[in-house]
Amino acid sequence: MLKIKQALFLIFGITSFIIFYIGFLNYITTEDKIIGIGILAFSIIASLGTIVATFYISNNITKPVESLARRMNEFSKTNTIQKASITDKEFQELYSLHKDFEDMAGKVGHSLEKEKQLNLELQEIDTRKSEFMSMISHELKTPIMPIKGYVQLLKKQELMGSLNEKQLDALNEIQISASKLEKLIQDILIAQKIELGKLSVEQNIFESGYIVENAFKAFSPICQSSGIDFKMSSAVSDNVYTDSDRIAQVFSNLITNAMSFVSPGTGKIEIGALDNADFVTFFVKDNGIGISEDQQKNIFKKFYQVDTSSTRKKEGSGLGLSICEGIIKTLGGKIWVKSTLNEGTVFFFDLPKAKIPVESFQINSN
Amino acid sequence: MSRLFSRSNGVSEKRLNILIIDDNEQITKMISSFLDMSNHECTVVNEGKEGLESIKTKQYDSIILDLAMPEYDGYKILETLKTEDPTQLPKIIILTASNIPLDTVRRFKELGIASCLQKPVDIDQLLTKIKAVAG
Repeated sequence: MLKIKQALFLIFGITSFIIFYIGFLNYITTEDKIIGIGILAFSIIASLGTIVATFYISNNITKPVESLARRMNEFSKTNTIQKASITDKEFQELYSLHKDFEDMAGKVGHSLEKEKQLNLELQEIDTRKSEFMSMISHELKTPIMPIKGYVQLLKKQELMGSLNEKQLDALNEIQISASKLEKLIQDILIAQKIELGKLSVEQNIFESGYIVENAFKAFSPICQSSGIDFKMSSAVSDNVYTDSDRIAQVFSNLITNAMSFVSPGTGKIEIGALDNADFVTFFVKDNGIGISEDQQKNIFKKFYQVDTSSTRKKEGSGLGLSICEGIIKTLGGKIWVKSTLNEGTVFFFDLPKAKIPVESFQINSN
Repeated sequence: MSRLFSRSNGVSEKRLNILIIDDNEQITKMISSFLDMSNHECTVVNEGKEGLESIKTKQYDSIILDLAMPEYDGYKILETLKTEDPTQLPKIIILTASNIPLDTVRRFKELGIASCLQKPVDIDQLLTKIKAVAG
């Protein structure tokens, strides 16, 4: 690509050569030698003048342009610019260009700096908010202990004296509410840990069948009493390297969700595991009301709750699925959903297969 | 040390001598009521320094220790009690609302801590743990 300097020298060089050539032609063709010498001298002076002017113009155009390019480059890297050495003795347009660029860079730089500062402040607020939530959740756990403890104690009628049916019913309600509160606090704490990247996991080798079976055993009684057809189908039993307690929590959240979307009596929930190359894909499938495509985009966001219908109560904190996603990601997998409205929903999550030879490990299947 | 035997629900059970160190009076009152009713002897201390003195002056079948306490906390107590031989450490059950990272749980085990429980804990589970720890 041609530089301004080169273009100027090319144009003015040719011009000065033409001026000199015309003068020279005049000198050799004219009969009056004095006029010929005069014209030649004039043409030499004119062409030399053109060359000098070229140097001057070139310096005064290319230098400020090059310096502007340099300053723009510097600004794009550092968001700040040094004061230019350009003066108002230069070409006016170029001087204005520098001046306008300086003004613009000043304003943009200021905005960027402000934005950076705001971002830092927001991050700090966010961290403080997370720490505050952790602290509050921790403080809330302490008073729950005497509430739950005394309820348990009061129910020990052989120790505390007998209660009538109404009193027992009231105690049960307190117990249910205390348990819900405890679960909510635990959810907030886990969500905070995920957000702060502090979720601790203890990975080991487990059979996928064992994981599915555990979830099945945990939820069979409640599904049965709720009139839900709960099935387990494990097509594979590969070994996965994971944290079984955390996965139990994921299954628990997904099955609890599924239970709230199916109808008692006709509701079906199926859990299982499928082979998927380097991963084992676990699933929780239901024949519930389904989740619309729009809602599917948001369900893994914190505090998002699927709008079921006006007849159903919204339960829970809206943290369940975001916790599932956080746990699965921490364990090196991914979670996704497939759903059709009024037909049902399937939640899938991948867990990496254990790559270490299984024989060398004692498989934890107790 | 009292080694009394009590009869509860027709089953002969060893009467255990338990120390609870926790600054939360409602929690200590609840646990001690339950343990008393379950025919175990229970000593309550709501302050860390006093708790340490109690551990040093008397032998208990099991000690329930809270970690986060004002002034003299559970960590300081553990630091003072630390022994070369972990089996020589009193039988301590840590009962805390704080989140204990897995590394810390492992370090507690190395120190000879018998168990580490998170509040709120089921009182029946707590009693089962106390009995297991007391042997």
